[in-house]
Amino acid sequence: MVRHLPRRAALGALAVLLTAVTGCSSGSAPEPAPTASASGSAAPAPSGAPYTLRVLGGSELQDMQPILDDAQKATGVTVKLSYTGTLDGANTVSAGRADGTYDALWFPSNRYLRLDQAAAGKLLSETPVMDSPVAFGVRSSVLSGLGWDPAKVSWSQIGDAVGQGKLTFGMTDPAQSNSGLSALIGLASAFSGAQAALTDADVAKASPALRTFFAGQKLTSGSSGWLAQSYQRTATGGTGAQVGALVNYESVLLELNRTLPGDAQLTVIRPTDGVVSADYPLTLLASAPSQAKDAFSRLTAYLLRQDTQRKITDTTERRPVVAGVQPGAGLSTDRRPELPFPGSRPVADGLLAAYQNQLRRPSRTLYVLDTSGSMAGDRLANLKKALGLLTGADGSHSVDGFRDREQVTLISFADAVKWEKVHQVPADNPQNELAAIDSDVRSLSAGGGTAIYDTLETAYRELAGQQAQAGDDRFTSIVLMTDGESNEGATAGDFSAFYKALPAGRQAIPVFPILFGEGAKDQLQGIADLTGGRLFDALTSSLDGVFEEIRGYQ
Amino acid sequence: MRRQQLVGILVAFALVAAVAAIVITKTCCGSSPTPAAQTTVTGLIGSEKADFFASPEVQRAFSKLGLTVSVQHAGSWQMKNELKGGSYDFAIPASSVAADSIPTAITTTKVRPFYSPLVVLTTPDVAAFMKQNGLASQKDKVWVMDMQAYWAAASAGTAWTGLPRQENRPAGLSGQIYIATTDPRSSSSASLYLALMSYLGNGQKVVASQSDIDRVGPALQKLMGYQGAMLSSSDQLFRDFVAGTERPLSWTYESEVAEQALAGTLPAGSTVIYPDYDIQSDHTVVELTAKAARVSAALATDPDLVKLEARFGFRPESDPGLLAKDLQQKDNQQFPADLKSLGTSQPPPPTSDLLQQLVNRAVPSGQ
Repeated sequence: MVRHLPRRAALGALAVLLTAVTGCSSGSAPEPAPTASASGSAAPAPSGAPYTLRVLGGSELQDMQPILDDAQKATGVTVKLSYTGTLDGANTVSAGRADGTYDALWFPSNRYLRLDQAAAGKLLSETPVMDSPVAFGVRSSVLSGLGWDPAKVSWSQIGDAVGQGKLTFGMTDPAQSNSGLSALIGLASAFSGAQAALTDADVAKASPALRTFFAGQKLTSGSSGWLAQSYQRTATGGTGAQVGALVNYESVLLELNRTLPGDAQLTVIRPTDGVVSADYPLTLLASAPSQAKDAFSRLTAYLLRQDTQRKITDTTERRPVVAGVQPGAGLSTDRRPELPFPGSRPVADGLLAAYQNQLRRPSRTLYVLDTSGSMAGDRLANLKKALGLLTGADGSHSVDGFRDREQVTLISFADAVKWEKVHQVPADNPQNELAAIDSDVRSLSAGGGTAIYDTLETAYRELAGQQAQAGDDRFTSIVLMTDGESNEGATAGDFSAFYKALPAGRQAIPVFPILFGEGAKDQLQGIADLTGGRLFDALTSSLDGVFEEIRGYQ
Repeated sequence: MRRQQLVGILVAFALVAAVAAIVITKTCCGSSPTPAAQTTVTGLIGSEKADFFASPEVQRAFSKLGLTVSVQHAGSWQMKNELKGGSYDFAIPASSVAADSIPTAITTTKVRPFYSPLVVLTTPDVAAFMKQNGLASQKDKVWVMDMQAYWAAASAGTAWTGLPRQENRPAGLSGQIYIATTDPRSSSSASLYLALMSYLGNGQKVVASQSDIDRVGPALQKLMGYQGAMLSSSDQLFRDFVAGTERPLSWTYESEVAEQALAGTLPAGSTVIYPDYDIQSDHTVVELTAKAARVSAALATDPDLVKLEARFGFRPESDPGLLAKDLQQKDNQQFPADLKSLGTSQPPPPTSDLLQQLVNRAVPSGQ
């Protein structure tokens, strides 16, 4: 690593030294540090004892790795990041599952988490490190047709363009990801004309306009990172839903542009009537041991240094939070009002429930469930429990559960399909249908071989039939849950040929395989790559958590 | 805080260490005694003091006195809980009221080494719009806010677009008029804001009874409700302002702004408004173990530390004019030399118990 700064600063220091020698007026001159090496070439010693800080944070922090590597050299603190979504992280902290497992949190925002007073009490030293507003990135080829000045676009103009069918977009699931939640808050504020923090009345008032708006959402995702990857994939010729815009952090949009062809470049629009920003507060858990607290202090001090802040803004396109550091070259500096975030859990959760059950486009979700002989016992029990949670069978009503208006298909398979069950969750009073899904889940029984590819082909045909019959437009996806390797029927090559022969609309249906038991990772990764899905790992995390996480993609 | 420059300074000094040491010793500053064994003292502080305690110069000044001070930050009202079963030697909340709520076995009079008025941070165009509508005035470059007019507008639910004179309204300035604060359940600056609002809402009388609380409670709840989710600490509020994610008006410590003004890093277009009714933030040391007495004494009387307190934007008790002197040298005319010259009224805050009740009324939990 080249270290210019100290040298340049050293010249300044000589000047300071001269004034110190002559006048001694400008504060006390620092004394020589006993540890400074006279050679000037050796890197300075770390500022403290080595420590590995266990941090739970958002996956978009992956771009911070080079800076964290530098931080490790300078401070001795290694950051071990475990990734999860902002809202899932909030639940982890609220439930007390973070205490003792992690030392610190690093999410785009703590606002949702802090709405739970008990959870807020577990946090210490919340230190914003960098900032990025949630913005609308509009595809260049689409922008020219809209006749907008990108610096002067309001939420209602965006709403009009979407309402008139001129603009489609992708956005993360607000029940899982802070960028989606922030956008939803911005939209609800703008469409209701709220004059302050959102209330239930504002949400109700904005609902008709929001429903129209979300008809234009063609892509959903459980994380802002996958949303960006999915856009990039279709922009570079891969299969998937083509969208005219992405709702994401300004930083993610600008970083994504580095890898996009010209016509797919995204122009960042920060609506003039206000944005909701992420300020990435690095936060110490009160339960952390004292060594962790010391390491945390050293790390935050390093991250707030001017040179570090400059590097953060130059390399990650996020905005600095330290006065005197200029935002990176790609960031426009005209200010935007910051919209208030709801001040209570009931309002925030009410907004989320309205989105899931009334406002968003409904989903068509198909579960391909392996019930071969090897699933007998605990594995099948775990599967039943995980799916049962999505039906609210345990009395919980999770925002990640099956939604009103959702069409849910279950396929039980081994060496052949054992049965298929289709459920249409109604728009009102969904309890009976959810109970019916749960009773199908509980009827699953194990026995037989494993014919993954045959069953996937069946699944695609089933969805084609459902689409043709309903003639509607829904978020459509397949979840594949298996604990073994395909050892019967069609091969990977057969399935690939089958898939490539499908019409483009059908190819846009992704498969989300779950790695479990003795599942063949290569086979499953191949299926995810081919269909534009994503592989989920239930070997290192619970099946419950994985099924819940996938909801963000459905 | 110009950390990289400090690294440079260290390197430069390493190069000329011998010379420097001799010259400095001869010309002025006196040779520093070799410190005896260092005593490590651990504290919990408000985030507005985080930069001060993290500064290498402050650490060095403590070190000369044989102290190694390590700190974590928490909201002043969070401290009581955080200190339970903890291994802290002292706590420095940002108000005497919060300090009074922290139990300690040490009974000596609490030391207040430095203080800071609370101010409203905004931009010049918003300040001018407020002046046009009688919410603020300016004399000798110092802005003053008419808090009674603010209280009247905010408690009536007036919007920026509902003020009588709409010409020159800054683009994007809309919505209810309110000052964005931190969360008063954890943070001292916001609880002092509520103390001030309760005084104004109570006919300019300090809230002293349950019936006073009942009288002002609903209006306070409305005022805090406008804000939505609140940040936990003033440091966060200020960093968000720096990053450009601002509300029209933010409630913060003069020290946060003054520190940047002194360092020459205050974002262009930052305007400080002094409330004409204001409650000062008294940074008060709560000693929890015998070791802490050395920390309070150092902060109150050590000349190097007092100078540094002013440099980090605070008004030291032993020399309140020092901050203004530093600021005037840097040509920052928007900070008054003497707070008294503004003619602001300083109502005392309610007692610790009543203030906590006010907070609970203004921000009901589980709403």
